[in-house]
Amino acid sequence: MSVPAKVLVIDDDADLRAAVRSMLESKGYAVAEAESGKEGLRKVAEEKPDLILLDVMMECDSEGYGVTYAIKHRADYEPYRGIPVIMMSAIQESPDELFAMSPESEMIRPDRYLTKPVNMDLLLEVVEKALAERLPRSVANQ
Amino acid sequence: MSPANPESLRAASAAEAPAVHSGETIVVIDDDRAIRLSCEKILTKAGYRVECFETGAAGLEAVAKLKPALALVDLKMPGISGMDVISRLREIDPNILTVVITGYATIDTAVEAMKAGAYDFVPKPFSPDELRLIVKRGLDHRRLMLESQQAEMERELLKRRFITFVSHQLQTPLVAIHQYLDVLRHLENPDPAKLREWLDRCLARTEEIQAIIKDWLTISKLEGGLLAQQRVKVDLTEVITEILKTYEVMAASESVTLENQMPPDGCYVIGDRNCLSVLFDNLVTNAIKYNKPGGKVTVSAERTPDEVIVSVADTGIGIPEKYRQMLFGEFFRIQDVKKTPGTGLGLAIAKRVATEMGGSISVESQVNVGSTFRVRLLAWKEPVSETTQGRTNNGLKAQNTDR
Repeated sequence: MSVPAKVLVIDDDADLRAAVRSMLESKGYAVAEAESGKEGLRKVAEEKPDLILLDVMMECDSEGYGVTYAIKHRADYEPYRGIPVIMMSAIQESPDELFAMSPESEMIRPDRYLTKPVNMDLLLEVVEKALAERLPRSVANQ
Repeated sequence: MSPANPESLRAASAAEAPAVHSGETIVVIDDDRAIRLSCEKILTKAGYRVECFETGAAGLEAVAKLKPALALVDLKMPGISGMDVISRLREIDPNILTVVITGYATIDTAVEAMKAGAYDFVPKPFSPDELRLIVKRGLDHRRLMLESQQAEMERELLKRRFITFVSHQLQTPLVAIHQYLDVLRHLENPDPAKLREWLDRCLARTEEIQAIIKDWLTISKLEGGLLAQQRVKVDLTEVITEILKTYEVMAASESVTLENQMPPDGCYVIGDRNCLSVLFDNLVTNAIKYNKPGGKVTVSAERTPDEVIVSVADTGIGIPEKYRQMLFGEFFRIQDVKKTPGTGLGLAIAKRVATEMGGSISVESQVNVGSTFRVRLLAWKEPVSETTQGRTNNGLKAQNTDR
């Protein structure tokens, strides 16, 4: 890739952001960070990332779901609709359990769901795959 | 009233139902029309909603919709037997209490009915008082049963929520450590400065886990009454002076001044020294952590003959009104300041200790001005010695020889 793909890491834990940032940067990605869902949504517009790594952030009323919802459904986030969202959470429920609860929960379903702690090999693989699948759409947009 | 079939009976009873009833529905299933009529009359008058059925089949069919609290069931009926009705009722709704109406109340049939799940029985013939009494007893029992079920459910829910919280609190630092180590394993030539920094962070996060476990154990010991066992004379001036000394360095690093205004001649309360130390340790560290650079923490005390009120005042960020109710709950942390390290258990522990010692804790706060935590504790009173006691029956009260 000529221009490195940019990953926005949204997590309230600074240590986790630092670790993931180093990992991604060592593989040539550009990284932006946000520590809350609110800041994350602002950064989406500012940084126009190619991919979002998102924590559920249970302590802050699960505001991670709000980010997914905005990217996937909110009218004002229409320009960012194609950005893949990978959600990370230490919540023990399986994603199917989590997202099969109601039709509404479909609205906040991310593209991928990883359980924390995230295995770095898996993370890199998932990020790479999500970006590869996204590329044609982004090219079409340009 | 022509109660030839259940339909007309239902209509009739609805029409005649008194304006005020207990809200509880009673179903009567008996093939004997006289019994149905008398049950309905007696129980409607007693304020219940009554529905009568001639057969087990009709009764069972209606039960799902009627959701009765209690069913009076005749044991000997054509069609589905009373015994079967009882067990079917239990399958439909285990909270329906069944009372058996039996014309041949031998011990055997009663026992058999109880085994099938009946709660009680009414022998035929019965007087209105007998029926009312048995029904009331049954409904009282059911109410208690439902209340304890409800309490049990709430306890379960609370426990589960609590466990979820603890797991999450422990998992967060563990995940951070894991991610650092995993990334370090992947990086080929990690920058030594970064390596150093990450190892320090990993250590800090393990300390966080240890602090959570320590606080958690303190809470659970307090809960079991294991910790706050001592009731001795404790000098709070000494306890607090010690605590303030311990945190001098920490306060200085945050540019916070600690001011000890405890009475120099001692400030005596009744309690457990270690627990009281934990209590004020939590209040003082909070006052430092949630302060502002250049701020101040002042610890002072007021003494009355019966109690000692210790105030820990800071000039910090304050606590918004909406959080004050929840402040002393487990794992409560104000979201805006979540970056401040802590386990979310400190104030919960402080409150438990204060309560355990027969005292209380309260807070006054103004956003951006500061917070003052007030702990009320029982003042120490010198026990009146045998000889003194002998001489005090002339109305002299035990003196507060407090020093």
